Amino acid sequence: MVHHSRGRLAAGAVLLTAALALTACSASEPGDSTDSAGSLTVWVDADRAAVLKDAAAEFTKESGVEVKLVQKDFADIQEQFIAQVPTGKGPDITIGAHDWLGNFVTNGVVAPVELGDKAGDFQEVAVTAMSFDGVTYGVPYSIENIAMLRNTALAPTAPTSYDDMIAMGKSAGTEFPFIVQVGPESDPYHLYPFQTSFGAPVFGTNADGSYNADELTIGDAGGDQFATWLAQQGAAGNLNISLTGDLAKEKFNAGASPFFLTGPWNVADAQAAGIDVAVDPIPAPGPNAAQPFVGVQGFFVSAKSTNTLAASEFLTNYIATESVQTALYEVGKRAPALTASFEAASADPIIAGFGEVGATAVPMPNIPEMGSVWQFWGVTEAAIIGGQADPVGLWQKMAADVQGAI
Amino acid sequence: MSTVTSTGTRRPFHVGRWFRATGWRHVIGITMSIFAIFPLLYVLSASLNPSGTLISANALFSVFDFGSYTRLFDLPQQPYAAWYGNTLVIGITTSICTVFLGAMAAYSFSRMRFTGRRVGLLALLLVQMFPQLLAVVAIFLLLNGISDIFPAIGLDTQIGLIMVYLGGALGVNTYLMYGFFNTVPTSIDEAAKIDGAGHARIFFTIILRLVAPILAVVGLLSFIGTTNEFVIASIVLIEPEKQTLAVGLYQFVSDEFSKNYSIFAAGAVLAALPVMALFLYLQKYIVSGLTAGSVK
Amino acid sequence: MSITKPRAPRTTPVPHPTSTSLRVLVVKIAALAIVDAISLYALFIVGAQRDWIVFAAIVVVTVIVNVVYFSRRFLPAKYLVPGVIFLVVFQVFIIGYTAYIAFTNYGTGHNSTKEDAVAALIGSSQERVEDSPAYGLTVVESLGTYSFLVTDPDGDVSIGNADNPLSPVDNATIEGGVAVGIPGYNTLTFSQIVAAQETIAGLTVQISDDQNDGALRTPDGSSAFVYRSNLVYDETAATMTNSTTGVVYSDTGVGAFTASNGEELLPGWKIEIGFDNFARAFGDESIRGPLFSVALWTFAFAFLSVATTFLLGLFLAVVFNDRRMRGRKVYRVMMILPYAFPAFLSALVWAGMLNRDFGFVNQVLFGGADIPWLTNEWLAKVSIILVNLWLGFPYMFLVCTGALQSIPEELQEAATMDGAKPWAVFRFIKMPLLLVSIAPLLISSFAFNFNNFNLIYMLTNGGPRDVSAGVNVGATDILISMVYKVAFVGAGRDYGLASAFSIIIFVLVGVIAALSFRATKSLEELN
Repeated sequence: MVHHSRGRLAAGAVLLTAALALTACSASEPGDSTDSAGSLTVWVDADRAAVLKDAAAEFTKESGVEVKLVQKDFADIQEQFIAQVPTGKGPDITIGAHDWLGNFVTNGVVAPVELGDKAGDFQEVAVTAMSFDGVTYGVPYSIENIAMLRNTALAPTAPTSYDDMIAMGKSAGTEFPFIVQVGPESDPYHLYPFQTSFGAPVFGTNADGSYNADELTIGDAGGDQFATWLAQQGAAGNLNISLTGDLAKEKFNAGASPFFLTGPWNVADAQAAGIDVAVDPIPAPGPNAAQPFVGVQGFFVSAKSTNTLAASEFLTNYIATESVQTALYEVGKRAPALTASFEAASADPIIAGFGEVGATAVPMPNIPEMGSVWQFWGVTEAAIIGGQADPVGLWQKMAADVQGAI
Repeated sequence: MSTVTSTGTRRPFHVGRWFRATGWRHVIGITMSIFAIFPLLYVLSASLNPSGTLISANALFSVFDFGSYTRLFDLPQQPYAAWYGNTLVIGITTSICTVFLGAMAAYSFSRMRFTGRRVGLLALLLVQMFPQLLAVVAIFLLLNGISDIFPAIGLDTQIGLIMVYLGGALGVNTYLMYGFFNTVPTSIDEAAKIDGAGHARIFFTIILRLVAPILAVVGLLSFIGTTNEFVIASIVLIEPEKQTLAVGLYQFVSDEFSKNYSIFAAGAVLAALPVMALFLYLQKYIVSGLTAGSVK
Repeated sequence: MSITKPRAPRTTPVPHPTSTSLRVLVVKIAALAIVDAISLYALFIVGAQRDWIVFAAIVVVTVIVNVVYFSRRFLPAKYLVPGVIFLVVFQVFIIGYTAYIAFTNYGTGHNSTKEDAVAALIGSSQERVEDSPAYGLTVVESLGTYSFLVTDPDGDVSIGNADNPLSPVDNATIEGGVAVGIPGYNTLTFSQIVAAQETIAGLTVQISDDQNDGALRTPDGSSAFVYRSNLVYDETAATMTNSTTGVVYSDTGVGAFTASNGEELLPGWKIEIGFDNFARAFGDESIRGPLFSVALWTFAFAFLSVATTFLLGLFLAVVFNDRRMRGRKVYRVMMILPYAFPAFLSALVWAGMLNRDFGFVNQVLFGGADIPWLTNEWLAKVSIILVNLWLGFPYMFLVCTGALQSIPEELQEAATMDGAKPWAVFRFIKMPLLLVSIAPLLISSFAFNFNNFNLIYMLTNGGPRDVSAGVNVGATDILISMVYKVAFVGAGRDYGLASAFSIIIFVLVGVIAALSFRATKSLEELN
């Protein structure tokens, strides 16, 4: 008796498991039955998936190679690529930012790409950014940097200097003379042009334009001047650590300031909010030019890809052509890395404006040592802006901490 | 319950008495509702303002525009409707299986005495306490291995994800049920046994009905936990059409440069509806006093 | 418990089971047969892959399942096995994996096998010979051997393959200035190239008899470049030699090719390193310095989180558990709303509301004050507890509401009739009963908050930080977020170290939990 009812329970449990497993067996078979010339798996983020879809379909038509776009969260790609490539389950190609490259190379997950004679067709900064130890690992696709957005209704002309900009901002009578996102842990990326204007880049550079991790220049005399300046601006209320990225954007879009130091990603929303924007060079508070960081986005090939030829074909002989780069620009509105396409895109004054600033810009370091810089950089800036202690002392302490971490 | 309240209203109404009996409860209820809802008004407000940000300063509901809701179903790369369906399927399957597996375990812990019972109970608690820093890496490797044998239950399958969630079926929930099972008198089991019922019959036809409130609570907890989980889901589910709401929603705001708070907020508001509907539905099981009635 | 024991119930007559017994037996056998068939299928595949550990695991599980359900004994196991299988596969595995990683150097630069490291090093050391020309390439095949038919920029055509260096030819078919075919060979189409791409991508053709001149390789099947590798791998000696500098890097057992001066070539590979990670975990200065204050805050945070959410949740559950109250349903739904929205979304909203200069709390509730909710060391701690209360009380509310149902109404009625005050009824009758089922949940909630990385990470990221301290640890960092920063932020990710910390924290929390578990006597109570 007991046995029988026990049996029913057993049956139920077994059935449950079996049902799961059965659906498993019937659903699909391992290994795909592609009769085309092979297939490529490409990781892209949601934005770029839309952009690449047509380009991929076109490539499949031309070459017979099927391109499978897998949508990933951009913020997760770096870590997942490093984790999954060694298992052999990673993609053949992934989209990525150039400052991930050092990490990729150190982990041995990317294969070099040969741009061949096409290297010269790209903007120089893009190829430099995609190179590590003299070897090129990525095919650049777009270039991004920040510049000064101006609300032309509040400030009809471009400022001639930083002080001029503040004066114009004050006379405009808006809530802020100018806006830059800072946040409770500051934002060294957005403040970097001001830092370089005082002559304090993070690292020294080698002859070929790559960064030299052995030469930490952030603590040089220029750095102290920058720290002092930060403290002054914080005290004057021009920099505010409560102004996070979202708030900054919202304030500018609400007309709370004539100037907004930001990137092209915020332009569309500002225009949608009815603001007529112009793009100006970044006024330098220090003696040197204000050079922002350039971020280059592009495609990397997995070191364990078994489709290397198809991947190279797709990247160098397809993505790197003018027609495709122009088409990608037209869908995604990101400044192309290919010079010819960029020039075509420069008909748009916004693109031209950012491009002009970008021409003087420097690539964000892609060496792994940069990780040690970030963790001290922002909080120190925030402490200085917040007026917590002697700015020069804090800055030097930071330089020492970074050196120690490297 | 209706008899109590209706007799109450027939009598002359005394504010003081009313307040002492239930009125103060309403004061607390309203205060707490404000505390609970207020932050969410920002989400609702953002969802109605297609060009705004999440923390649209302090001007709530300055715009009323359902554009974000319609756009939500109109994004080819972000198949929101599919996510919604997936979330319901995964959430309901997981919560049903969790309740079933957990109830079975709680039954054996509550009604049977066996060696390793106490150790087992303690182990269940301890296993849940392990810091999950590496969980993502481990689960990827595990499902990767399963994919090699049964691709249909491995990576990028919803069954694979459900199985991972069921790994947590025994645990805190089991304790909750175990405690509740213990309050059901064993005399009920004994009486049924005398009537000739086996253990499985007692479990399925008698005990499970008596513990319905806690089954409903566990089911709800499991459903909410599953629908809000996005770390593991984003590793396991790769194709956009297979992903869940939490994964998809997270994508709307995780990219530093293309955050879309309005659509994100609209998606989150819609995503909260099933949870509320489920709770409304389950409330009658949770608080109907089924236990008291049947045990009497 | 004796007080809760009501009268024996009048159960409805149970239908006699024999009518269904045969069918049940058949279904049971069929179901087990399916399980066994699936296992067998898995065994074939795993056996073919020669993965004997997995093989053994499948055998053991299958045998256990069959024994448990076919035998008349093992009654508890029949109820436990399904859940335990999932638990072991998906939860215990994570613990085991973490424990294993704790004894390896897995992390940035050491994330794969030695073979992968060699391949990656050789791959990235291929340098294109400076100022060398790009060759137009046609891949041709003869008798199963692939050859490169190349056209140099001057239009001269040569052919070569893996064994024969380039030699000039003059009978090639030229199209558009590039040789596209040659008698005696088949020209490969692009799809044929892709089909054989692993072979072709690995093909190197020496451009002359002298190896130092470099070799032709193709990245895409349509052009070829001259490469020279500056790293040479000697398989027998297991050494890497830099052919430019002559430095020899050898495998010295540290998981990377290492020169005599200690310089390492990265990527290296994953090796087992014994207790090194644990030694580092205890010896790491960036951990040891702030350890005491962080640990103290972690305990305070976890305790206060549990206490506040539980008390509020319980209070509300009791308040809304009165049958006379109208609108309870609506209130209850309101109470679980914070739980129905994703936590990361709520954290974003709260961070905005608590913003010092622009947030709702300061601007509206405090009339324009600038209270540094998230940027002052102590206020940030208060804010974290507050936000966690908001996030966590619905859970406790739900759980308490459920648990309250197990307390018969008669109890309260009887006690009230005996003249007990409501508070006394609650304190001495309801509360002890509630705690029986809730106490384990409180312990587990404590453990959860002890490791509540997400909340800290999303709301304050551990900040505010004292920059003069020189360590990357802030005022609201708890142990797990400190571990995250030490192991993952900065130059690279150190999974080995993170795992060692996980184990240490686990032991710590586990001991506390086991002790409090004994203290609550929730197990003894019911034996």
